Amino acid sequence: MVFNSLHFVWFFLVVYGAYRLIGHRAQNWLLLVASYYFYASWDWRFLGLLLASTVVDYSCALFLERAPTPARRRAILCVSLGFNLTLLGFFKYFNFFADNLHALFGSLGWQVDFVTLRVLLPVGISFYTFVTMSYVIDVYRRETPATRDLLDFAVFVAFFPHLVAGPILRAANLLAQIERPRHITRDQVRDGAWLIAWGYFQKVFVADNLAPLANAVFEPGTTQTGVNVLLGLYAFALQIYGDFAGYSNIARGTSKLMGIELIENFRFPYFVRTPQEFWRHWHISLSTWLRDYLYIPLGGSRGSEWQTRRNLFFTMVLGGLWHGAAWTFVIWGVYQGALLIAYRAASGARIYRRLFVDASPWARVTTWALMLHLTCYGWLIFRSRSAGQIAALTGSLFGNFAPASIDTHQLLIPLVLYATPLLLVHGCEAWFDDGLIVPKLPTGVRYSLYAATFYLTMLFGNFGGAEFIYFQF
Amino acid sequence: MSSPVAGAGSHRLRHGALFALIVIVQFAVFETALRTWGSSEAAPSFQGLFEGDPVLGYRLKPGARTHFATSEFSADIAINPQGFRDDEELGPKAASERRILLLGDSLVLSVQVAFDRTFGELLEQRLNRRGAAARYRVINAGVQGYGPVEEQLFFRKIVDRVQPDVVMVVVFVGNDAEEAVTSLPKLSGEPRGGAAAAGESLATRLRRLVRRSMVLQILRLRVVTATDRVRPQLAPPEPPLQSYAASPAPRIATGIAIARRSIDDIAAVAARAGAATMVALMPARFQVDDPDYLRLKEAVAQAGGELLRDGASDRFARALADSPIPHLDLLPALRRARPGPDLFYQESVHLTPRGHEVVADALDAFISERWPTERQDPRATPR
Repeated sequence: MVFNSLHFVWFFLVVYGAYRLIGHRAQNWLLLVASYYFYASWDWRFLGLLLASTVVDYSCALFLERAPTPARRRAILCVSLGFNLTLLGFFKYFNFFADNLHALFGSLGWQVDFVTLRVLLPVGISFYTFVTMSYVIDVYRRETPATRDLLDFAVFVAFFPHLVAGPILRAANLLAQIERPRHITRDQVRDGAWLIAWGYFQKVFVADNLAPLANAVFEPGTTQTGVNVLLGLYAFALQIYGDFAGYSNIARGTSKLMGIELIENFRFPYFVRTPQEFWRHWHISLSTWLRDYLYIPLGGSRGSEWQTRRNLFFTMVLGGLWHGAAWTFVIWGVYQGALLIAYRAASGARIYRRLFVDASPWARVTTWALMLHLTCYGWLIFRSRSAGQIAALTGSLFGNFAPASIDTHQLLIPLVLYATPLLLVHGCEAWFDDGLIVPKLPTGVRYSLYAATFYLTMLFGNFGGAEFIYFQF
Repeated sequence: MSSPVAGAGSHRLRHGALFALIVIVQFAVFETALRTWGSSEAAPSFQGLFEGDPVLGYRLKPGARTHFATSEFSADIAINPQGFRDDEELGPKAASERRILLLGDSLVLSVQVAFDRTFGELLEQRLNRRGAAARYRVINAGVQGYGPVEEQLFFRKIVDRVQPDVVMVVVFVGNDAEEAVTSLPKLSGEPRGGAAAAGESLATRLRRLVRRSMVLQILRLRVVTATDRVRPQLAPPEPPLQSYAASPAPRIATGIAIARRSIDDIAAVAARAGAATMVALMPARFQVDDPDYLRLKEAVAQAGGELLRDGASDRFARALADSPIPHLDLLPALRRARPGPDLFYQESVHLTPRGHEVVADALDAFISERWPTERQDPRATPR
């Protein structure tokens, strides 16, 4: 059941109608049943994994609190992490490692028959295992108390708006809201309704309409000139943003309507000027998770410069691999790590101050444009199906740009038409530095944006029901 | 002094009025934009090709012109003063002129291609290239959305004006049986009850209003799509493409019988006017296109049905088997033209220029075979 399906609309209307009529405890039961139904609508068999993850981490957290010695606490933490990583490793990476080992041994002339299992990837597993892991680690660090209420914990893990594609929430944020009675304010209803409408706009108007433009460039066997590859990259950059940010906004909006606040997952990521800023504005819940549970435990920036660079690199490579079991994601992680390390290295140079600290308007525009294109090149790696395709598209970009061959009708005009409304609203949000500025604008402007969002979505949206890109991660 | 409640009410009223005004202004902006740059059959410029008709519902509007373009094709469309798709006026019939009248739906009208690339015009060119004494004129009387019943009624209206020598009824086997059932009441011409008439009048008025606006047409389409998705969850769905179903609904047999009666009526009226009648069976794209067939077969199977690829063609052929009216199934000719460039457009599922060429060749061969003396006397009795 995807957010952009009629099934979800009916589902949410029924759940929300009932939710408004009942008390706090009953609301939590309703959320649990609804969330399990939501998850089972993909494949009920994977519900067992979700239940197992919930029960194991709930129990581990309770044992952690009662554990008398640090050694016992570490052992319990290892059990929890081992369970979650085994789950994730088996369902997400088994085939990847088996295929690569098979290929490696084959290249050495050894014929080894690996057990090949066609393991299906349970939807959302990367998200909910990270949620439960963060909870157990927080309890281990004594940053959050273990909950004794299994119902509350099960709702925290399975809460349907964030279950299959995030944001990856922490117990301190979501569990605390589930535990206490919720009061739904008028502002929450207003902002929630806008976030839902804007999320659908980002998905069906921006992402799903730009998808064919990007697909045309990345279709295997096609050859495009550099200028058209670049336009395809812009299209994909906006597609993946519209798709994922749209999902996150619908998730935030539906949660707000129920009186629950989820964290902001995107904050105008294409308006930033440095790689560091990018990761503070793109998939914020994942980048902060990686920072808090991987980068900092590895030593963060506390050690030598070399150690800091190593930690950055390792974190970004694992971040890349989190997105999927494929070498292209590993290369993408390497690329992102290299960008962060290069930026860090440049911060000691004299020009850094002129470009980033005391920057003139021209310097600001230049660094923004540079960062935008570095990000887009990252998407080229991310979206490619193989290293060969990365090489071919890179060759087109840098070796056969051919600006005169620009495909005005099939690429440029649709790109401009579908991107402009999104960029105008984001420009406004970035200007006020508020991702929820629209509902606070003067009445006439606000109503105009509401009406335009409705018309653009309904008249020009692509209602083919395409799945969200991040479901596969 | 006004009360706070009254103040709040007036505040809401002002906001409501402002919002309504903004919605209306933006409606006008989007309507204008779609009319200027939109390209669909819902566009008023395309709808302007039609006018109301008390019997048929609508017909082509004499003298109307438009340019119709989508991502797949682009074509100028002109309706002549007699209400047929043609760049030229029909004019009085010369003694040496032989007229072939094509009756049918959108597959005959063919708004997807330029007039000189329609199979009617190509057939005319082929017939005239033979160097016969007579000059052949093929008249495209196809109208979007017409079925056998409308074609019968339309033919009665135009037969005296057109004075055809040959009438060719192009049956689209994909939906003509269904359309015949739907349009049957048009044949009765019985006066309706007051309530029904008032209801229909309101519905018709609403439909006309929606049809005039591109914004409303698209919004209507969204609602229809959404309700279509809900309907299968509320009631067991009927597998699609009933005309091709292994076990079709009873209305398909009824529709074919109605279509047969309409064709017989056309033949009778044509005979009284001294014209011969023939039938061409036009297949649907999936009967020619293998990937399309496999896709639809799967979709029908998922809905619990079984798709017979040539079911509709075979049923119409059987219905005409005992008729003295000669008929041609265009399917073999179109299949013989595969593999090769597409014969049907992917989105509009109408004939491409190459598809028109193939159909024109098949019709030319059919006419030559059926009327070997045609070159001398087109009114000779068909064999």
